[in-house]
Order: sequence, then structure tokens, then C-alpha cells
Amino acid sequence: MNRLSVTGLRVRYGPIEAVRGLDLEVGPGEIVALLGANGAGKTSTLSAIAGLVPPSGGRILLDGEDVTGLPAEALARRGVGLVPEGRRVFASLTVAENLLLGGAVHAPPPERRARLRRMEDRFPVLGERRDQKAGLLSGGEQQMLAIARVLMAAPRLLLMDEPSLGLAPQMVERVFDLIAQLRSEGLTILLVEQNVPMSLDIANHGVVLANGRVSLRGTARDLLASDAVRGAYLAG
Amino acid sequence: MGTLLQQTVNALSLGGVYALLALGLATVFSIVRLINFAHGEVMTIAGYGIWWALLLALPAPVAILAGVAVAVGAALAMERIAFRPMRGADVTTLLITSFAVSEIIKVLFQNGISARPVPIVLPAWLTSTIDLGAVRIGMISVVSIAAVVLALGAMALLLRRTPLGLAMRAAAEDFAVVRLMGIKANHVVALAFAISGALAGIAAVLWVAQRGSVDPLMGATPVLKAFIATVLGGLGSLGGAVLGGFVVGAVEVFLQGFLPEAALPYREAISLSIIIGLLVLRPDGLWPAANVSRS
Amino acid sequence: MRRPDSGTLLLLSAALLAAPAAVAQEEYVIGVAAAQSGGLAPFDQPSFAGFQFCVDEMNAQGGIAGQHPIRLEVRDTRSDMAETVKFAQEFVDLGVNFVVGPADGDPTMAMGQITGPAGIPTMTFAGTAPILTQVSDYVFGSYPADNQQAAVLASYARELGYGSAWLLKSPDAAYTLIGPEYFGQAFQTLGGTVLGEGSYTMNQPEFSAIVTTIQALDPQPDVIVTWAWEPDFPAFIRALRDAGVTTPVMGADVLDTPTVRGLGDVVEGVVHTSGGYAEEGSAHADFNARYLAATGLAADTNYHVNGCDIVGMIDAAVRAAGSTDPSAVRDALADLPETQGIMSSYTFAGTDRMPLRSVVLARIEGGQKVFIRRGLADPAIIPAP
Repeated sequence: MNRLSVTGLRVRYGPIEAVRGLDLEVGPGEIVALLGANGAGKTSTLSAIAGLVPPSGGRILLDGEDVTGLPAEALARRGVGLVPEGRRVFASLTVAENLLLGGAVHAPPPERRARLRRMEDRFPVLGERRDQKAGLLSGGEQQMLAIARVLMAAPRLLLMDEPSLGLAPQMVERVFDLIAQLRSEGLTILLVEQNVPMSLDIANHGVVLANGRVSLRGTARDLLASDAVRGAYLAG
Repeated sequence: MGTLLQQTVNALSLGGVYALLALGLATVFSIVRLINFAHGEVMTIAGYGIWWALLLALPAPVAILAGVAVAVGAALAMERIAFRPMRGADVTTLLITSFAVSEIIKVLFQNGISARPVPIVLPAWLTSTIDLGAVRIGMISVVSIAAVVLALGAMALLLRRTPLGLAMRAAAEDFAVVRLMGIKANHVVALAFAISGALAGIAAVLWVAQRGSVDPLMGATPVLKAFIATVLGGLGSLGGAVLGGFVVGAVEVFLQGFLPEAALPYREAISLSIIIGLLVLRPDGLWPAANVSRS
Repeated sequence: MRRPDSGTLLLLSAALLAAPAAVAQEEYVIGVAAAQSGGLAPFDQPSFAGFQFCVDEMNAQGGIAGQHPIRLEVRDTRSDMAETVKFAQEFVDLGVNFVVGPADGDPTMAMGQITGPAGIPTMTFAGTAPILTQVSDYVFGSYPADNQQAAVLASYARELGYGSAWLLKSPDAAYTLIGPEYFGQAFQTLGGTVLGEGSYTMNQPEFSAIVTTIQALDPQPDVIVTWAWEPDFPAFIRALRDAGVTTPVMGADVLDTPTVRGLGDVVEGVVHTSGGYAEEGSAHADFNARYLAATGLAADTNYHVNGCDIVGMIDAAVRAAGSTDPSAVRDALADLPETQGIMSSYTFAGTDRMPLRSVVLARIEGGQKVFIRRGLADPAIIPAP
């Protein structure tokens, strides 16, 4: 069974339809890269799956359970985690407070503390800065925090929206390494990215969106080799 | 010298009440972008709650607790009945909704109880005075300042030390991401209203104790002053609201106390001019909110 | 064909004679603008309640002058000046015979600027600023004017041996501003001194700063005088007594309410003027009893009985004019000699349409209104409006 199965998804903002009948499947332990130009409907798709916007049509199944139209908090409790575009850490909260909030409803206090320690081990910079305000971290550190915050919830499906956006090159590599590592730990990931080559490099499958519809799909390897993807994203 | 000390006590006492109200306004605003002008009516409802409890011959401490409890209930009911259906509406729509709620409650009290104030007599020890050498300070001012300090301290503990407080601070920054953490939006919003209600209830107790009567329009002026305080402090900033409340109170009291007699009728104009002047110097407020919320 | 007999003729002529009587059954329309909500509601509501009660009583007796059933056109001003003015225009358009306006001088003056030029006599429910009639010859007061109250209060203050006074005023209403000034003038005429004055804003949150100013006065005044009303007066007296200041306080007719009397120890000994006092067996007491029996509510302010007296004033004017014509009624009302009312007697003749009425002095003792005396102000010390 697929971890995530989306059929005929539609998302509408007033008169504008951002997603027009999208089908998408993510198998357990897989990375699927969702690609496409600005305005293709990538973020809208993630928002609908995370419950931040109600879909205007279609169905969303999580491990076979119909979760269409559930609000964000309910989906989060069912194990859907989203690393939002632009990181959106809580700037006036400390690093530790950000992390604890990430696990607030998912683990009782002792377990939450244990997860916090594991995150601090995994991301030493967050451990060093645990009592600093998150707003004082660098962009790359904030991205680590945003990812660690979601991991505190131990999600079964991780949605990531442009995790490399605005980061320095070596930081971008670290983020992609981390994503690949998370998969190797068994996490299922739906990744929205502008950085097509690096995404397809780590992904199992790729889906290319245009105008709210799937224009191309296939294994990551096939897509990397396809003329359409090369022409649109890898030229020059 | 004695007069200056006394006026300082007065300024802290009045500023403290404004701070409680402003903090309630800011708490709700920071989370749901609602400037709740019906906040003053929560205070009025608490006042009538105390009056009613005293009519039932309940002892004063019970009546005071009843007043605060009624305020919490009123704030929660307001959220549930009037504001939840409007969740997500723009700031103007919410503002107008709050005016409507405010007007309805005022008219209900005017026609249901009386347009005239009803007297409230609190225990005599509250109305005694403390002699400090040349200076005589009203017990009520001291109690008022102590209550404000306790309420603000409790609020700070709640926000810093509890998971729900943490969620509230986070929600003030970015409500959508808080929901992504699995925290129920309705719980956070309800908590914000409950806190604002409790603060308004405490403000009402202090207000009623100092004024001796409750009337349907009781909350209107203080909530306006508290609103000015939240703007002065920095809209959406909790610390700013408290600071703004104390500044507005101090400006009012010191102008009242030290302006020459001939200038007294222009006190309000001068006081507002000072506040506008401060805002010109610090357009985002004295203590702006840490983050501008993303839409 | 038969000639009509004398009996038929008699019937016919009786019918013809009866026709003018039918015309005289024409109703008398009074436009009433009063606040059911907002800042004036505490005064307008009881005034209107008393007025309505006596209109009903009078209609049961055939109406104004026993022959014109009264029809009321009632509008709720919500204490809003713009609404009040709008209703004044509406009353003019409706062609009402008489207008009764809010219990404060300022909105009554605003109405009078419209109803006056249209030739409709207009009376305030309980506005007491004597300047309110200067806006038009058609505007009338009903309650003892501030300068009369101030003169009576000042005389009493001097009798008690008070030599110096401190005045608390608010520029927000003619009443709260001018009242203490009239007191100051009369007090000085009688040899007293005004030490200074303070200013507050209506609905001001708190009065501790003013009280601290009073505490710092040197020398201390013998008496503090204010025309402040609810909820400002309760807040002021509370702050004053809470700060340990025991200086006597005197105020005006607005203090004559159960709210003020219910404030407990802090108002003990406060002396205030009033329009009336329901002595046992008086017409006033009888009114209160009738009102209680009919409505189940206590007529717990003088505004109730004064509202009723307004009905009597209109009735007396229409009877004296022998007509319902607005101009004739105005002239008759302006020349009304001393007439027995329910709260007290009133005289319009010789005044500038603010009636000369007796003023009651009362003291609050143990939460009760204790009668001191009733009397007319000495014309020699009444300050000019």
C-alpha cells in the first residue's frame, strides 16, 4: 500500500484554480520529488496534503485511510509533518522551545525530553544554541531547526517545501545529504524543490507539474535523462 | 516630594489597570488579529457579576472570584458565539464584529438592568489608608498595584513555563505553523480569550473597588485607553501592551496632578499629543512585536 | 310630505352644535426625544417613564385640557447629538404641537435651534443650565435651574460657616462646567472665598490624581463643590474618602439617586440640592405610590416626578391659551403664573422661561436622603446666566 495516495486533487483560491486534478503516489520509504516552475501548484499541493488549505476536489489517502479535508492539526496528529517554505521557525522562542513545541502533542514529557536530546546530538549546533532565540540563528541553522522540529513529531510522512531555498551552496549540500539520510532511516518524503538535479539525484521518483497538472512523471533516473526535463531545468 | 510620591502611586495604580486590559487586548490580537473592542464589556460583565454576587449576600472574596470567573466565561462565550464564525475574516470585519458585540451587550445591560449605575460596596479594609510619614496612601492603590504585579507575574509564568503558553507565544508569531505541530487552533484561541477574560475580570475588580459603582458603559473608556496603550506599546506585542498601559496611566496622572489649573481642561488633548509624539519617534511602538506575522 | 316637527329640528341643531365638539376631540401630538441608551439614559429613562405614566393618566381623563387625547411620537436619541437633531427636524416635518427633549441642556439647545424657528414650543426633560433657553424664545426649562440651585446651596454653605470652597468642574457639559461656577459666584457674593478648582473629563477613569492635588492644598478648603454626576461622582467621592480626605462635599440635584445613596460610608454627610422631596402625604408621595402600584417599579428619582410635572405644565399652558396653537401655547406657558405641580410649584411669568421652582436641600445619612429644607433662591444672589 502507498503511504500517500492522491487522486484528482484540486485546490482553488477564489477564482483561481492552483491545482487541477493531480494524481500522486508516494510509497513507504521513498523520496518523491515534486518539480515545476513557480506557480505550477507545488506549494498548494503540499498545503492541501498538510491540511492548511481544504481541497476543492479529489481524495487524499494516508496509508489507505481517507484524510481528505482534515484540518492541519488533525493531519499532524496522524503523522504528517511539513517543513514549510521559508523555514518559519518561531523567532522569539528559543531553539529548545521550538523543538519541544514540535513534539508537544506527539510524545509525553519524558519521551519529548529524550527526543530533544537525540535532536541535539544529531544537530550539534542546535544543542550549542539551545537557549538562544531561533531568530538569531543563520539561515542554514534555521533550516536545520525547522527540520529537527518536524522530526520531534516522528512523522510517517514528511513534506518538505523548498528546503534549500536561499541557503549557501555547502549548506544546500548538507540539507540534501540529510534528506537522503532520513530516507535511509525509513522516512517517507515528498520533496518540493527548485533544485532539480540535486532533487532527482536523491529521489526515487519525480513528478513534474505545469499549470496545476502533472506534465511528466517517472523514475528519477528516467527524468534526469529526459529531454523535456533537461530542456526546461537543466539547460546551460 | 510627598505629592510626587503619591502621584507616582496613583500612576502605577491606574497604569496597572490599563496594563491588564491592554495585555488582554494584545493577547487576543496577537493570535487572531482581532482588536476586541468588546473587551470593555467583558469588564462590565465582571462588574455586574460582583454586584450580583454581593446581592446574593456572598462574602466579598467569593464575589470577587465570581466576578473574575464570570469574565472568563463571558470572554469564552464571546469567542464561541461571535468571533469563531468570523475566524479568518480580515481585520476590519473582525473589528466591526467586536463593535457590534460591544453595543449589544451595552444595550442589554441598559434595558435589562438599568441605564443608571448600581452601587457596589466593598469591605472597609480596602478603603483604609496607610500612613507613611508625611504621605498617606490609599490601601486600594497598594492592593491594586500588588494585584497587577501578581497577575502579570502569573501570566509571564504561564507563557514561559507551560506547553500551552509556549503554543500561545508561537501562535502569536505564526499560527499556521503551530497548527502544523498538531496543536488545536481552537484550544489556543480559547485560551487566549480565557486569559484576556481573566485579566479583564481582575481589572474590573480593581476598577469597581476604586469607583464604587458599575454601569453599562463602565468598560468603554478604559478599553479605549487600553487600546491606545497597545498601539503605543506596539500592536501585537505583549510586553509592549504592559509598558504602554503604564505609560498611558503615568501621562494621565502626572498631567492631572501637575498641569497648571488653566491648562487642565486641555489635559486629554495634551496627553494624546504626547502619545502621538512618542509614536512619531517610535512608529512601531515602544516595544514592537518580535516578528511581523506572515500571511 | 310632512313638515319636519320641532323634535326633529331640535335633534338636527344638536347634531350641528356637536360638530365643533368633534373637531375639538383632535389629538395633541407631542414629539419626545429621549435616550434609552448611552450617557443620558440614566436621566432620560426615568424622566420619560414618569412623563409616559402621567400622559396615560391624563388620557384616561380625556387628554390635554380634558379634551385633546395626547399622542406621543417617541424617538430614542441613543444620547447621540446628531440623532437628536435629526429627530428635531422630523418633529417639525410631522407638525407636532409640542416637543420634549433630553434631560441635558446641550442636546435641548441643539433641538431648539430647529424647533424654535419652526414655532414649536420645546421643553427639556431636566436640563438645568439656565443658558439653555437663550437659544430660542420657544425653548423652556422644567427643573430648577443651576443658578437657583447654586444660590440655595451657597447660602446653606455660608450658614454652616464654610469660608472657603474648592470647585471641581468638567468642561464636557454645560451643566458640570457652569454649575460650580454659579456656586462660586453666589458663595463669593455672600463673602466666601474660592480657593481653586480642578477639572475632570467625563467618564474619567480615576480621580486619585485630583484627590492628591486636593490633599496638597494649603490652606485646605472648608468644602468641595461639584456638579459631577454618575459615574464620575461615585468615583470621585470614593477616591477622596479612600485617600483619607474628610472635607465636606456638596453637589447638585444629580446626586439625588439611589446609586449615590448606595455608595455606603463614603457619601455619608454629602449635602446636595434636589428638585423635590416626597414628604409624607404630599402630592409627590402620592405620585410615587400611584407609580409603584401601576408599574411595579419604584419612582426612585425626581426625574420621574418631574417628567410627570411636564405633562401638567403643557396642560396648564393649553388651558391658559384656550387653544392648541403652538404659538399661543408658548405665550401662555411663558406667562404662566405660580402653578401647583407635583414635585413643587412652578412660575414661568417673569423668568426667561427657566421656571422659578423651590429647591430642596438634602443630606445623605445612613444611605437615606434626609430632608434639610425647601425654599426659593434669594433673587439678590442668583448669578446671572
